[in-house]
Amino acid sequence: MAWIKRSWTPHEADEWTKEDWIAIVLSPLSFILITFGLAMSLFLLPAGFVMLLIGIVVTVIMFWVIDPKLDVLSEDYERKQRAYLEELERIQRWEEEK
Amino acid sequence: MVHFTGLDYFWVIVYILLTIGTGILFYRLGKRSGSDFFLAGRGLPWWLPATSNFATHTATDTPMWFSGFVYKAGLYGIWGSLFAGWCAISAWVSTRIFRRSLAGTQAEWQTIRFGGLPGELMRGWIAGWQVVFNMLCAGWVGIAMGNVCQWAFGWPPWWGLVLFSVICCVYAMTSGYWGVIIADVQQGITMFLVCILVSIWAVMAVGSPGAIVDKIQAMGHAEMLNPFRTTGFATGDYPLLWLITMIAVPFLGGFGMATHFDWFVEAQRIQSAATVKAAAYSIWWGAAAIIVRNSIWAVAVLAFFVIHPEITKESEYQLAWFRMGFEYFPSGLVGFFFAGILAIHFSTISGILNLGSMYATRDLYHHYINPGATERQVIWVGRFMTVVVMLGSFFFGLMIGENVTRWLFFTLWLMIAGTWLPNILQVIWWRFNGWAYLSSWIANLGICWLVVWVLPAYGLMPQLKDFQQFWLLMALVACVYIPVTFLTRPDDMERLVKMYVQTRPIGFWGPVRREAERRGLLTRVLEIELRAERESRKE
Repeated sequence: MAWIKRSWTPHEADEWTKEDWIAIVLSPLSFILITFGLAMSLFLLPAGFVMLLIGIVVTVIMFWVIDPKLDVLSEDYERKQRAYLEELERIQRWEEEK
Repeated sequence: MVHFTGLDYFWVIVYILLTIGTGILFYRLGKRSGSDFFLAGRGLPWWLPATSNFATHTATDTPMWFSGFVYKAGLYGIWGSLFAGWCAISAWVSTRIFRRSLAGTQAEWQTIRFGGLPGELMRGWIAGWQVVFNMLCAGWVGIAMGNVCQWAFGWPPWWGLVLFSVICCVYAMTSGYWGVIIADVQQGITMFLVCILVSIWAVMAVGSPGAIVDKIQAMGHAEMLNPFRTTGFATGDYPLLWLITMIAVPFLGGFGMATHFDWFVEAQRIQSAATVKAAAYSIWWGAAAIIVRNSIWAVAVLAFFVIHPEITKESEYQLAWFRMGFEYFPSGLVGFFFAGILAIHFSTISGILNLGSMYATRDLYHHYINPGATERQVIWVGRFMTVVVMLGSFFFGLMIGENVTRWLFFTLWLMIAGTWLPNILQVIWWRFNGWAYLSSWIANLGICWLVVWVLPAYGLMPQLKDFQQFWLLMALVACVYIPVTFLTRPDDMERLVKMYVQTRPIGFWGPVRREAERRGLLTRVLEIELRAERESRKE
């Protein structure tokens, strides 16, 4: 699926892209399908098994799409985190600047 | 009345010792720094905060109102429990943004997002209000436990409230968030196991899953097995507008920090995760466990309905899940069931005590009272405030008494309705400033009392249904903060640019982004990244 980007540079991963929107749309769908699919499956209702199966497939697709981007984005951010934490501490201990 | 055998007592005593032992075990880690006492050092793998997310949001009152929904409306009632749905979008949007801000609390976020006087006013307000609100939360969950113990053992309600909150306080105070999160893992596993066992026993009590379906249909209630029914747009027992509200409010809320009834708790878990990805996964999988739990619970509640279809009093059918466990588990396993209830209770109370203490310590004491506080002072104030939050919860718990669900709903409207949209706007729209956000909070507090209690009480407006109240409150409060937004100046561009570069929010940030690009901040970030990439390739 060339339409889905699976290889990211940190700068690209920082932007909001269609891969994010795919995850944003699939995620609620996955929650609703799993919730009602599982509940109805536990009562052995056939529609429940179908919903649950679709819910699992949707979940797998969602993670397949978003995971590579999150990996790069996350790793890149950790490199900058120390400086940001120091800035946060400076706001917290504002009096020491005086 | 429930009677315990020796084996039942064994389960309960072992479980309480295990929980307190966790506190003692992680004492040394908890006292390393303020960051350890409140955020476990910001270094947890995703599955720890995920389990904690699940455990904390499975409270003693949760099976009560969930049983109430499902007993009354069947599988359709599950929609009422879909609050966790906000995590579906939040995991990929607001969790990522908030984790990158590194704000320890929602109050601290205010000084990062808004800054200046409104930012400080909001930080102080949210911190103070969160201390009181966590007392209220611990109070209503605590008194729910008191009510369960009264039904099961004939105790006065305050016994259950005080005894089990004190046990939680011991380990939350000793080891802080380290103790809370590690205890949450064993509590999460225990309660999930108990949920499954209760549903298995419930099915066995009726015969089989098919027998539950057959009996519901034979009673003439086949509609209870259809979760997608409606009775018109805004009329009847199952209006479409209610369903839309139940879907829109949590799910769209994930774009911002909108269902902040839960958000405050999750904010702590998000920041305790080691990486941005770990934070996102912890929120998604924690919520996934919650929705799976709901489906499993529904089996037990509908089995109870088949056995006891005649109950009309809400306070009685709300105990459906508890009664299935207490009445149908064999002797010796009832104690294990009660240990599961303790797990449900401890995880929520300990999390709330630590969270309330965090706002009091980090945002009030450390930021305003003693900015130069040492780590040791921060930890000791954290411990002291844990006890203060617990004592406050006793006051609220005794005040709430048996009206657990009524308080829950009012608190939800009080917290979510008018500030729901502003909580999204603060993340997605650069022009929404600190004054607008502050005005939405003040307006919401006043207007919700009028709409929910005062005006209907004096006959000046009809008593609206909950979903109608929600949309009305949202519209009325918007009439205040939207003019305020445009009548006051935007937030300081310096701060907005800084915040944008660090957190990279979604939505309408065009002018801020352009300013960041003009200053070369995004380009510089790109250059640094490309250089780092080249170096890593060479290696």
